Amino acid sequence: MTYRLEMKEMTKKYGDFLANDGISIQLKKGEVLAIVGENGAGKTTLMRMLYGLEQPTSGEIKLNGDQTQFYGPRDSIKQGIGMVHQHFMLFSDFTVTENIVIGHEPINNGFFNRKLASEQVQKLSDQYKIPVNPSKKAGDCSVGEQQRIEILKVLYQGAEIIILDEPTAVLTPFEVDELLKTIRYLADQGKSIILITHKLPEVMKVADHVTVLRNGRVTGNVKKVDTSIDELAKMMVGRELQQLSERNQLKGEPLLEVEAISIKGKGSKPVLDQLSLTVHRGEIVGIAGVSGNGQSELIQAITGLTSVDQGDIRLGSTNLTGKSVAFRRNEGLAHIPEDRFLWGAAKEATIEETGMMGYYNKKAFNKYSFILKKSFRGVVKGWIDRFEIKAKSLDDKSGNLSGGNLQKLIVARELGFETDFLIAAEPTRGVDIGAMEYIHEAILEKRNRGDGILLVSSELSEILLLSDRIAVMFEGKIVDILNRRDATEERLSVLMAGGKEDESSTKNTTTA
Amino acid sequence: MELFDYSFFASAIRMVSPILLAALGGALCARVGIFNVGLEGLILAGAFSAIVGNYYSGNVIVAVLTGAFGAVLVSLLFGLATIKFKANPIVAGIAINFLVLGLTTFGLRAIFQVKGAFYDKDMNGLPKWDLPFIENIPMIGRFLSGHSPLVYTAFIAAILLYIFLFKTVLGFRILAVGKNEAAARSLGLKVTTLQYGAIIASGVLCGLAGAQLSLGQVTMFTEGMTAGRGFIALVAMMLGQSHPIGMIGSSLLFGLMDAMSIRLQGFSMPTQFTAMLPYVITIIAMFFLKDRGVDSQASGQQSSR
Amino acid sequence: MNLQRKIQQLLKPLSQPLLAVLIGLFTGALAIALIGESVIDTYKVMWDGAFGNFYFLTATLARATPIILVGLGLAIAFRAGVFNMGAEGQMVLGAVCAALASLYVPGSGFVKLLSAFLAGFLAGGLWSLLAGWMEVKYKVQLLISTLLLNYVAVLFAGYLVAEPFQDKSGSAALAQTPMIDQAVWLPKLFTGMSVHMGFVIAVIGAVVLYVALQFTSSGYEVRMLGKNPFFAEYGGINKSKVLLFSMFFSGGISGLAGTVEVLGSQYRYVEGALTVPGYAWTGLMAALLANSNPLGTAAAAILLAALQTGAMGMERNTEVPLEIASVIQGVLILFVTAKFTLNWWKVKKKASDINGAV
Repeated sequence: MTYRLEMKEMTKKYGDFLANDGISIQLKKGEVLAIVGENGAGKTTLMRMLYGLEQPTSGEIKLNGDQTQFYGPRDSIKQGIGMVHQHFMLFSDFTVTENIVIGHEPINNGFFNRKLASEQVQKLSDQYKIPVNPSKKAGDCSVGEQQRIEILKVLYQGAEIIILDEPTAVLTPFEVDELLKTIRYLADQGKSIILITHKLPEVMKVADHVTVLRNGRVTGNVKKVDTSIDELAKMMVGRELQQLSERNQLKGEPLLEVEAISIKGKGSKPVLDQLSLTVHRGEIVGIAGVSGNGQSELIQAITGLTSVDQGDIRLGSTNLTGKSVAFRRNEGLAHIPEDRFLWGAAKEATIEETGMMGYYNKKAFNKYSFILKKSFRGVVKGWIDRFEIKAKSLDDKSGNLSGGNLQKLIVARELGFETDFLIAAEPTRGVDIGAMEYIHEAILEKRNRGDGILLVSSELSEILLLSDRIAVMFEGKIVDILNRRDATEERLSVLMAGGKEDESSTKNTTTA
Repeated sequence: MELFDYSFFASAIRMVSPILLAALGGALCARVGIFNVGLEGLILAGAFSAIVGNYYSGNVIVAVLTGAFGAVLVSLLFGLATIKFKANPIVAGIAINFLVLGLTTFGLRAIFQVKGAFYDKDMNGLPKWDLPFIENIPMIGRFLSGHSPLVYTAFIAAILLYIFLFKTVLGFRILAVGKNEAAARSLGLKVTTLQYGAIIASGVLCGLAGAQLSLGQVTMFTEGMTAGRGFIALVAMMLGQSHPIGMIGSSLLFGLMDAMSIRLQGFSMPTQFTAMLPYVITIIAMFFLKDRGVDSQASGQQSSR
Repeated sequence: MNLQRKIQQLLKPLSQPLLAVLIGLFTGALAIALIGESVIDTYKVMWDGAFGNFYFLTATLARATPIILVGLGLAIAFRAGVFNMGAEGQMVLGAVCAALASLYVPGSGFVKLLSAFLAGFLAGGLWSLLAGWMEVKYKVQLLISTLLLNYVAVLFAGYLVAEPFQDKSGSAALAQTPMIDQAVWLPKLFTGMSVHMGFVIAVIGAVVLYVALQFTSSGYEVRMLGKNPFFAEYGGINKSKVLLFSMFFSGGISGLAGTVEVLGSQYRYVEGALTVPGYAWTGLMAALLANSNPLGTAAAAILLAALQTGAMGMERNTEVPLEIASVIQGVLILFVTAKFTLNWWKVKKKASDINGAV
């Protein structure tokens, strides 16, 4: 039989770098194909070629047996390929209907027939059992609802092959279940689904076939029924995963004390609601939660980037409330920011300059307000050696570093302050496994020296691996704090969805 | 002499039209995500080319068309620099203002062999149209009627733009480009084409604004005769949140101030202070730009380097 | 190899402005050809008009003096990431205040001179600070407020010299202040030549500013604010303070541009003497052309001044009108931030990489 989609020997080179090296995949009608791999394994590049956002260096794509090419999203959409991006491509000011029909609007003499559009959307929503409210503004929809808009959009465009790029990253566990059901239903209706993910339990739940990528190559191509999570993990990582070691209790006196802080925010609900939290010396406290439940605001409140409306923040014996960022940093607070390009570096600045932030006015590097660049260069070189940062020269632009290397530079910079307290927000987002292990080791080492660390991460696995205690955030509050020993992914999932532990796990407050 | 009389309001309405036309042009650009600081230059290009067209053809319609055409050429240059060559739109806009100032003074010398200003008594200005029915309305009829066609065009253009943006499919897509360019691209919308379209349209509108300046009242061209109107139009656009109806309101405010500044010269006030009025009012108006709407991202302060 | 890299590093930032200059000259050539003149001859005459002999050279440097200072002032603001478009107003207020200070402050020539510099710097700086304050406190867009404040400042200065402080001594009542005392004049560098002490001040200013921006903590703060305000804030830099500080110095140095022009060349404030030659706008172009590098700005200012004095020479000796200089300048700035060829595909690739990370 002919496959609905076949990609043969796809190769993509960026300069010397082989992002995809002879990757082949096959997809049948009504099938769910999971493409799994770590960050940087080449999943995104492969899909961008399929969606026409990149042109392959070599390789061929066959659609229903016929060779074809995609010159852009327009082209792919026309040939029946739809993509649900990891970061939603929505217009928040437009209604759900407008977001779904855009590009294929029903036209009446050049005028936009919004009424007809709305009816069509309702019909589509009923047909595929994907509930949405057509007249609501997309910006007012919950994350799960926004994802449903994206799925309806590709269906409206007439897609037969639907690519879902890391669709579960932003969802609550309950929403994940709903999504997996939807995926199954769509496949049963004859759609072909490509699911890109690195979360293996989901793969096992929904996929028919799994293709595993590592370093731009296919390392596994199996039927779901013939494989297991462990086998997939091995193919993904290429070796046994490190098991977390038992560790000795170090917990000392309280270091960071957050007392009943609130931030009102723009909407009706407060962004932070009477939140209290303590981090002790020698302890890593992990914050788990679905993103958008106030984690970013909590970090910004502690670091002084946002002011709080209520409550107190203390570090040791110093009250930080209302103090400037500089004051807090001088008092012994370092901060690995969640977005390295937005907060952590200036792309146009040199590597040296990015590393210098926070050091330039320290006595050791500053004389008569002149920066002692020579002494500082040694420090940066030390970081580069220790963390194996691949950089052409210190005078190269920070923006030219790869994501992982820039992240290592930022981590090195913040650890270099040797502060008592560190906030590590998404410390390994988008970095390769090697860098990830480096960063994890460095954070643990800091903890073992008796410093306090607040870890915020959207990766549960990371939280579970590193934390001594785990606080779960939901809608601006900490709903519970678990000890390392008591925390399991299941328990955390329930808490993350806002459910109390004793309540049934299906209860969910975010469903519309 | 009274401060407010019929002729005051009539002149206010006349002053509104170039500001409104240019603001509409600027809004179209803003709606596709390009902050157009070059309005001043586009208007000036329109004013100059209209005079050139008028001088050679002796026909007002041809003059207006050449005005629009001249401004479109310049706007295309702006589009080329910002879209094709990805130049910083603010720097490019400023450059457009310089370039047109240079080109028009150069043109005055090269074409008319004069410096500073060009005037020819044989040139025809824009006609004054009396509106049937409306001119008979008591009180307001007298200052609503009797303007050049371009004054009416300005108001009609605002209404048409409103319908275009909010009722048609093409307008809907233009709004989409400005709201989220990446999303629009991922949908396969022809973002670049829409952007060029908007820039050309803004050229036409600014060209008409220029034609109204050089042909509307006294038929002449003076070096730098726009005197900051492009920037005032830019503020009118922001104050009106790039919404056509909102911009009618904000342009009316600035037109009123323009007229006021001229009227106050008849009183015993130093001319320097009366001339300051439109600029001061514009600055004050900016304090009320709380939510800068769609333009806030496009015009980001921190965008120089 | 190291040397080669150094040279490459040095040349890379130059390639973009050089390309823009070439496009500018090419456009100029088109315009010249359009009028039916010989391009080569015209440019030759232009070169002679700017650098042909010692007199012309010094005239070029004299013209460059206020342009350099304005450019330096703007370079500070641009480095801090704000589009200060108000150099003209800041310069004019600086000039008129310097003139008034040297006329009315009692004391010796030196005291007058000092107070003139102080008044010029403060007037420009405070006027610029006003816009900065409106931005920081009320989010009034600085790009536009500074532009509008230019009109207010120029009109206000015009009022001052047309009414209360007008020179009534002459027969014709021109809009200008009385002439300032000779003791306050900045000395000429060469007798009979127009270039004055102000040029030396401007060049020293360029060097000082370069060092300050590149090697001091304040310079670092200004640059990081301009490169990424979020990063600056995250690192503990006080955004508002640095922005206001940058705007104050930016305007202050533009004020000094007016000051040295009054003290070194006009010897009084004459309405239009600073605005008609467009010093402020040329200074802006110099800063843009040099990507706000202070030393580069000084060089670009001299280049642009040469273009203008050259154009004057050209007008004296050929049929080509001098406005061609403004055409060349306009084109040059239009393309100075454009990403051509090599740069162009790099940016495209980068853009797609960023998308790729998403």
